[in-house]
Amino acid sequence: MDALIVIFVSGLISIFAAFAKKPAVVLLGASGGLMVAIGLMVNQLITGDTFIQIDYEGLNFDSIALIFSLALSVFTLLIISVGYERFKEEPNHTGEYIGLLVFSLCGAMIMTAFTDMFMFFLGLEILSIPIYVMAGSRKSDVRSNEASLKYFLMGAFATGLLLFGIAWIYGATQSFTIDGIAAAVANGDVAENPILLVGILLILSSFVFKVGAAPFHFWSPDVYDGAPHAVTGFMASVVKMAAFAAFLKLFAGCFGGEMLHDFWAPALAVLAVITLFVGNLSALRQVRLKRLLAFSSITHVGYTLLVILSNDQLATFDLWFYMAAYGFSIIGIITVGLVVNDSEDRIEALRGLGKRNPLLAIVAVVSILSLAGIPPTAGFFGKYMVFSHAWNDWWWLVIIALINSAISIYYYLRMLGTVISTEETPGEKIVVNPLTAAVLVICLIGMLGLGALTPYLIG
Amino acid sequence: MELLLFILPVFFALSVLVMPQSFVRAYGLIGGLATLALTVVLMANYNPDGGMHSFVAQQWIQAYGITLHFGYDGISLMMLLLTTVLVPLILLSNFGRELSSNRLFTSMVFLMQLGLIGVFISLDGIWFYVFWEITLIPIFLIAYWFGEPERKAALMKFFMYTFFGSLFMLASLIGLKSFAASFAIEDLQAVELAPEVATWLMGGFFLAFAIKVPIFPFHTWQPSTYSKSPMAGTMLLSGIMLKMALYGMLRWMLPLFPEALDCVTYPIIILGTIGVVYGAILAIKQDDMKRLFAFASISHVGLIAAGIMTADKDTLSGSILQMINHGLVAVGLFLAADVIERRLGTRSLRELGGIAKQAPKFAFWFAALAFASVSVPFTSGFVGEFLILKGMFSFDCVIGIVAGSTLILGAVYTFRAYQLSMYGPVKTSAFADLSMSELIVFAVIIIAVVFLGVYPKAVIDFVEPSVTNLLASIKQTPLVP
Repeated sequence: MDALIVIFVSGLISIFAAFAKKPAVVLLGASGGLMVAIGLMVNQLITGDTFIQIDYEGLNFDSIALIFSLALSVFTLLIISVGYERFKEEPNHTGEYIGLLVFSLCGAMIMTAFTDMFMFFLGLEILSIPIYVMAGSRKSDVRSNEASLKYFLMGAFATGLLLFGIAWIYGATQSFTIDGIAAAVANGDVAENPILLVGILLILSSFVFKVGAAPFHFWSPDVYDGAPHAVTGFMASVVKMAAFAAFLKLFAGCFGGEMLHDFWAPALAVLAVITLFVGNLSALRQVRLKRLLAFSSITHVGYTLLVILSNDQLATFDLWFYMAAYGFSIIGIITVGLVVNDSEDRIEALRGLGKRNPLLAIVAVVSILSLAGIPPTAGFFGKYMVFSHAWNDWWWLVIIALINSAISIYYYLRMLGTVISTEETPGEKIVVNPLTAAVLVICLIGMLGLGALTPYLIG
Repeated sequence: MELLLFILPVFFALSVLVMPQSFVRAYGLIGGLATLALTVVLMANYNPDGGMHSFVAQQWIQAYGITLHFGYDGISLMMLLLTTVLVPLILLSNFGRELSSNRLFTSMVFLMQLGLIGVFISLDGIWFYVFWEITLIPIFLIAYWFGEPERKAALMKFFMYTFFGSLFMLASLIGLKSFAASFAIEDLQAVELAPEVATWLMGGFFLAFAIKVPIFPFHTWQPSTYSKSPMAGTMLLSGIMLKMALYGMLRWMLPLFPEALDCVTYPIIILGTIGVVYGAILAIKQDDMKRLFAFASISHVGLIAAGIMTADKDTLSGSILQMINHGLVAVGLFLAADVIERRLGTRSLRELGGIAKQAPKFAFWFAALAFASVSVPFTSGFVGEFLILKGMFSFDCVIGIVAGSTLILGAVYTFRAYQLSMYGPVKTSAFADLSMSELIVFAVIIIAVVFLGVYPKAVIDFVEPSVTNLLASIKQTPLVP
């Protein structure tokens, strides 16, 4: 809770610091606040104490919420540091850009810690609204404007579905709190109540929209493609992780009982299959980096849906690990894309990266391997965890997911081939500023070291 | 001590990147010899009757059933020896070749060695899988960076094909683990499965191994990849990487799924036998020397795979001997093809001829290799193939006879290649005889092959107790009626 307050305050500071028209001050304020918050959360995870005891029934920062919030804050910190290079080009607006991202992080943290539907809805909106704005932050770019509008319209629609669903669920269970709903649906009569079932379906659809699973995925390629690099990275790592954390909390916690699980799980399984194939097959012929990553992220959503389905005690950790591994990989590759800074954002622009800047090339290669799930990267361990727990109930789904992994190798390998190719004359050397280099190195450590950390994290 | 098996390759792979350009090759050779020395020391300290020597065995991620479990027995040590002997030979045979970056090349070879060593000493399913996949990255990069101009499509096919197979192995591992306490090989072995389940799970493993070996219908990636890879890549692929799959069949496929053996032994042996004949016939018709040896490789390893599936003690020992023999001879033959290509710029048999007159030393060593390849007595191939064919005859005499044709067909394609390139009118310009480094590689290979042909007991006695243990663990598991 204290971490959330610190982050909120640092968001305010960075907005007001913008009056000084010194981007560096803004960055310092925001990243300092985030680091303090990260320190507070690590401290609370290890010792279990908080500095300020605030009890609010709507939010409960237990250890699960904390590890998710921790990862979300780290990702935000990385993205702010990377995006700073671009943000500082407009000194008047740097504070707004960074401040909005930090506010969005507050929403994401609320989504991991909520205990009633009201806070959940607030968290979702606090998360989404800054991103609608940020997606359109390149005002002169048509695609950025399109992304913003598209995301806003579709997002508003999904929010409507969600509210509607919450209302139906309240109608069936007379409760807004997670515990209240869970207690109510334990009763067989309530669980078979069609009003509840409709509510669950509505909430399910809005989640499927938020995480970008097929058939509600149409916004995501355009939005990812149009938004600035840093915002794309933020959407892929932070927004997705927060949405999945809430998804799991509601569906494994509230609606995870035997009867209800049998109701929504088959529907979600079908969605997972569609998502996997749609994402993969569309990604095969993409030539633009962010668009490819958008489709690849749809595929990753397909794998992650297996966690929601798996109904295992370790599902939360699976989800955390998978999204953390994915977050580091996507931030790594997006950073490479941002540094290379191709006006058309073509994958071809990465050609001969090894000669132009070895660090960028190494990060790109490891990110691609991690996204593809090839050992020894964290992406592999994440996939293994997800698949191994989904196997008992959903072995056929795991096999479909594995086939999709094999398909996805095609486009990852094409990208890999572009990065490591040597024969063509490469472009000029690329200089990476120290801040970005630090981010790249952290991503690299994350992708290679996350697997080795598992025994400690799991306790 | 044993941990050095991991530390040395990693150390050399990283440190070679900062060595001065002129010293890289020598440094790589030193690294290769250091791991070889380590393996020899481990072998000297190993008691063949001592069973499995596991040097790390502890829980790691209990919740996911992953253990840290590494160890070796006679079979693993033989494979380690093969790997560590071939790596310096491969580095040495590359001395005469200009590469765009020697540092990256040597580093990748050591990464490859790390993966291979890991595969041969992993006793935990997930670690086996991890190392199995790690080998794919350096070999892909070697072939991608240093291969022939039109290599991309072939490499894409290779990577996707083998990755596809491996994913099914992962699925099988996860499936098998759902019945077991952990991924440690003992726990996986303790599982008793219904035969149908066992057959399906074994299928996943088989697919991965069959693609990598490759066994007959899964071989289509192999000739193009072999011919488009740089010579060192081809040597690594055929010399060691394919042994990884054969070793996997021995160590993982047979002991984990004894329940399925009734059902799958026959089909796999038949596929292997088809591969023997099919590979040989295609090899006879080839014009490109590298492709010829690639098909010959399909023929040889088909026989080994079939031999392994008979699950008979002598046949298994013979298969292990033959694996070593094939590793040595394949590296030699691909070096011979490369020697010709490097000097003349072509590998096409039609354009070659009369090299023997220009380069008598090369002609001698190439002939010795050709004899070793067709398994004449006093080469290790003879003993290995004899043991395997003996096992096949007692398994089913028709299959034995068909597989026996490898001796005749092998002679046809090997000597055809030799005759067309070395004898006849001189068709090409001057041919410089072997350089010192090439001579050493050929000599080491031939000496090893002849030594094993005269005294095969060295290998067979070393692996026999381990093979007996392995078979005991297969037979012990009661077959579910």
